[in-house]
Amino acid sequence: MTTESISLTVNGQPRRMDIDPRTLLVQLIRDHLGLTGTHVGCDTAQCGACTVHVDGRAVKSCSILALQADGTEVTTIEGLATGDELHPMQQAFRDCHGLQCGYCTPGMVMSAIELLKHNPQPSEQQIREGLEGNICRCTGYQNIVKAVQQAAGA
Amino acid sequence: MSATRYLRPTHLEEALAALGTHPWTVLAGGTDFYPGRVGKPVDVDVLDVTRIADLRGIQVAGGAVRIGATTTWSELITARLPNVCAGLKAAAREVGGVQIQNAGTVAGNLCNASPAADGVPALLALGAEVELHSGSGARRVNLGEFVLGSRRTARRPDELVVAVHLTPWPEGAKGVFLKLGHRRYLVISVVMVAACVALDAAGRIARCAVAVGACSAVAQRLSGLEARVVGMRPDEAIAGITNADLTCLTPIDDVRGSAAYRRDAALTLVRQAIEQAATP
Repeated sequence: MTTESISLTVNGQPRRMDIDPRTLLVQLIRDHLGLTGTHVGCDTAQCGACTVHVDGRAVKSCSILALQADGTEVTTIEGLATGDELHPMQQAFRDCHGLQCGYCTPGMVMSAIELLKHNPQPSEQQIREGLEGNICRCTGYQNIVKAVQQAAGA
Repeated sequence: MSATRYLRPTHLEEALAALGTHPWTVLAGGTDFYPGRVGKPVDVDVLDVTRIADLRGIQVAGGAVRIGATTTWSELITARLPNVCAGLKAAAREVGGVQIQNAGTVAGNLCNASPAADGVPALLALGAEVELHSGSGARRVNLGEFVLGSRRTARRPDELVVAVHLTPWPEGAKGVFLKLGHRRYLVISVVMVAACVALDAAGRIARCAVAVGACSAVAQRLSGLEARVVGMRPDEAIAGITNADLTCLTPIDDVRGSAAYRRDAALTLVRQAIEQAATP
């Protein structure tokens, strides 16, 4: 197997390793770094459960090669909280119970943070549109929308 | 399973030199690269072109627009573009969800050549040209001659798409993009229609371009209709649009709809698109 070296920052920590060029970013995050908060739902770039931030932009980590993130700063769900203090978006999902089974939640939270970064006071419609790349099969989205509204007001 | 090589040049010349000597699979956003291979190992050598600075970004000069090949759909949505590009921006918002728009690129959408590519009808209606470079020179190809079929383009293996060019439309021209899918978000289109219309001082159609996607292997311009409506008032033009204007379409029956349904939906969307594009 040929390997390529990759250097990137994940949740503030510099990481350097040698990987198979075919490694997906989500495989690097989950299997190589053990950060299993990022989920794989559909494996086909549809469901959004694998959403992470690469240089501040939300992407689906199941659809890009890890090497494409060489030199970037990656943030996963594990990188949001400060010690025991949840990120306001995490707290809002908790307060509003914006989940049922929780599988989509890490991706929802990462996408919702990107949404508020570009539009700090979104309407309900804009929240629904902004989360169109994330699928939840439990909640009907009602409490997810409420959580984003709470985080926007916080 | 063969070993995969991965190359990520930072200069165009490096990429062209590589393409001239080895069959690389060009990768940018990659949003349809791995998902298109589910269950199959990645066994191609990958040329990642996303770090070539010259390929990224949008320049506007006197109504002409140059869209760098690896410009993402998110970058296009936030760019300042002439009004006639409003349809292209609307199409950009339909390319997957935000995460896909952040990664997927304009040229990638064209080179991937899906019959349901959201970007193709809007760029066809704008009269886009594709700029290709290789070690032996450069050429420009009309988008209509670039996409040859489902997953087939006129790009030679040694060539790289470096930019997409839009020629100026008259001041005040307007573009629209309409997409019919089974729900509002994140769906593969049943029918897409893009239209650009410029009116003269008397409110008559001076120039019109209409393209229909997902109703043939390659999105089609309705050139007969476009020529026929010049000089007409928008309302009389729209009233005269019939199935005879859509004979270049060859829709298929599939899980998303029958050919007859697609044809009927296309006719309705063509009328609506021209009406909206002709409304200042």
